[in-house]
Amino acid sequence: MLKAIRRFFGEKPSGKLARQRMQVVLMHDRLDLTPDVMEALKNDILAVLARYMEIDDQSIRVEMEQGKDFMALVSNVQVKRLYRKPLTQSI
Amino acid sequence: MAGKTMVVTSGKGGVGKTTTVANLGTVLATKKYSVVMIDGDIGLRNLDVVMGLENRIVYNLVDIIEEKCRIQQAMIRDRKINNLCIIPAAQTREKDAVQPEQMKALCSELAEEFDYVIIDCPAGIERGFKNAIAGAEIAIVVTTPEVSAIRDADRVIGLLEANMLKDIHLIINRMNFKMVKKGDMMSTADIVSLLSVPLLGVIPESDEVVISTNRGTPLVHDRGSRAGQAFRKIAARLNGESVPLDDDRGDGLLGRMKRFFKS
Repeated sequence: MLKAIRRFFGEKPSGKLARQRMQVVLMHDRLDLTPDVMEALKNDILAVLARYMEIDDQSIRVEMEQGKDFMALVSNVQVKRLYRKPLTQSI
Repeated sequence: MAGKTMVVTSGKGGVGKTTTVANLGTVLATKKYSVVMIDGDIGLRNLDVVMGLENRIVYNLVDIIEEKCRIQQAMIRDRKINNLCIIPAAQTREKDAVQPEQMKALCSELAEEFDYVIIDCPAGIERGFKNAIAGAEIAIVVTTPEVSAIRDADRVIGLLEANMLKDIHLIINRMNFKMVKKGDMMSTADIVSLLSVPLLGVIPESDEVVISTNRGTPLVHDRGSRAGQAFRKIAARLNGESVPLDDDRGDGLLGRMKRFFKS
């Protein structure tokens, strides 16, 4: 009965809460990227972007950011100019 | 033909690795396969007491590795089943008494002779874990529906993959279906989607497990036990028999009848 009242006031069932917490925790654990994996990721992002725009190679930053219930990959790149057409059709 | 070598692991302790090894080994042996179970937990051996064979130990795993005895001398035959035996761990030695390469050699030698070689992995992800997984081709990860066990299972799955052990299966132990129904426990589907490893089966939480370990007789000898039934199904799936997974929902006869009429 008490539980029903608490549910009524918006308390999540604990099983659901556990699942949501684990989704974030496991993602975080798995994304414990080693520096060389991070470097490879950075180079791949650069290669893709370079087809569409001229960029400053030195300016790229790739970071993982932890939100309240999500995980984000944040990348900042300085763009010098955009190309009218992609340089090649595919990598 | 060479037999199958499999390791039962979990990361976290106390989730039911040894119980799983004892029961799966027993079922496979009753199916007339020759089975050897290796206790990989050097210094903290337990498979012998769970199987009720603690009084028969003369030699152990480390004695084999150090060539103080032949493999045959360290193997202890089960009390009930002839084609089932265990190799106990050493109790007074350290984990570094064994090297991963030595385990690998031992497992492949045993696989020549036995249909199934099942290794009981110690908790943790250090030396004992590396030894236990070295000789296995198949990994069975045991977890319970708790956050700590699931997190550790995920870590272990990552490590297994990093060690080129890619044939990984999941067992969820100690599932309380009543709590799942109330929303107070992660469901089978939740856990499988979190860990993204194929499911072998679900063992319902049961007092019978404690009782059977008290007796030193694996649960699967008791035909009426629900948990024992679940272990029998898992063993059958391991053996390549097709046993549908949806029987593991644990909703009893009524639920099964409902599903029967729906389909």
